[in-house]
Amino acid sequence: MEALSELLKSFPFLLIGAWETLKLTAFSVGIGLILGTFIGMGRLSKIKFINYPCTAYVEFLRGTPLLVQISIVYFGLPQLGIQLAPYPAAITALGLNSGAYIAEIVRAGIQSIPKGQYEAARSLGLTHWQSMRYVILPQAFRNILPALGNEFITLTKDSSLASVIGVSELMRAGQFVISRTFQTFSIYFGIAFIYFVMTFVISRLVRYIERRMATA
Amino acid sequence: MSDKNGNEIIIKIENLVKRFGKLEVLKGVNMEVKRQETIVIIGPSGGGKSTLLRCINKLEHYQDGKIYLDGKDIDEYDINQLRTRIGMVFQQFNLFPHMNVLQNLILAPTKVKKVEEAQAIEKAKYLLNKVGLIDKIDAYPEQLSGGQKQRVAIARALMMDPEIMLFDEPTSALDPELVGEVLDVMKDLANSGMTMLVVTHEMGFAREVADRIVFISGGVIEEEGKPEEILKNPQKQRTREFLRRIL
Repeated sequence: MEALSELLKSFPFLLIGAWETLKLTAFSVGIGLILGTFIGMGRLSKIKFINYPCTAYVEFLRGTPLLVQISIVYFGLPQLGIQLAPYPAAITALGLNSGAYIAEIVRAGIQSIPKGQYEAARSLGLTHWQSMRYVILPQAFRNILPALGNEFITLTKDSSLASVIGVSELMRAGQFVISRTFQTFSIYFGIAFIYFVMTFVISRLVRYIERRMATA
Repeated sequence: MSDKNGNEIIIKIENLVKRFGKLEVLKGVNMEVKRQETIVIIGPSGGGKSTLLRCINKLEHYQDGKIYLDGKDIDEYDINQLRTRIGMVFQQFNLFPHMNVLQNLILAPTKVKKVEEAQAIEKAKYLLNKVGLIDKIDAYPEQLSGGQKQRVAIARALMMDPEIMLFDEPTSALDPELVGEVLDVMKDLANSGMTMLVVTHEMGFAREVADRIVFISGGVIEEEGKPEEILKNPQKQRTREFLRRIL
């Protein structure tokens, strides 16, 4: 009983943490989307000077643990004279990381569009960028929406790693409550429940948008 | 640049060679196209017909030879400028599925030529009227039949005021009963004086509309001439075989 009452008492505090988690994730996804779109296009470039760095970027960020990446940004960069506060450091690391995954999604999305679409656009005199902007990417994004939703959900959960550098998101808020109440099971379970509700809502939201775009 | 009869030559192709890896698809093609001429290109599949068209607007790079537009090497043109002068119609239509008919038509003029939107819409309406699809102006491609899609695609290409139109098997993906409506639009276009290069298997169209038929096989022009010459009295063995099979 005490466990439950402690959970209920600290619930508003956890919700504030959840709100921070959402903000953290939204910022990171925003960065990841912009980065991923350009790197995904770069991965398809025939110019080696563009293609190789983009490929290296994706391989490196997918091939190393996010926890290590966060540590490099927060603990490592200060040695090079770049000092970031926990929150910007977390957004940077999460954004760079999701950028790599989103790049792969975007690449697959572009490749899913028949070549004739690009050729038709170019044959009308549109430049490469115009063809991408008006013809290929709008269709690609419609196709990759489910995969992007997945990435959004993954990132919501992964953002809990930001707790190790002291960002007061949901996980960190929970640990704070536990250090005061020692109710490990109920609080961790409460945290899990809040994460689940967030990801569930996101997945429903993505499906709703998907269906609306399909009928549009 | 004019030929000896004083007709202006708009496109001149010299010794064009195109390879895909080791496969030589065009083995030295020479060809001249006069302004307002309609040329129908026929030949077995894999013979290089489509590749030839695609080289003209640089959708394909070629390894050797030259293509001239108005006497100037096409490599010397800005590529997007070049393409606005050469319209292309594809076998698979390639309408943009996320845009309605009107948006498909006005995209290139407003973005490439910076035409005012209102002006582009006027022109789109005029051309849709011409191809008989003004009532489909708000429709999305998936709501159109194949023949309607191809007529929209022709109108879309015409929005840029091209001087030459390339047709790459424009009716090959259509149900037989829809071929006629597309050919009619092309006939009107030819009669209005458009310079046209048409890759097709529609011999009726070739006979009726073409000024010249070019038979391409094995990467070279085997034979060319007036429709009655080529269709009734082909000189080369390969041409005869090909025509016997498709007629």
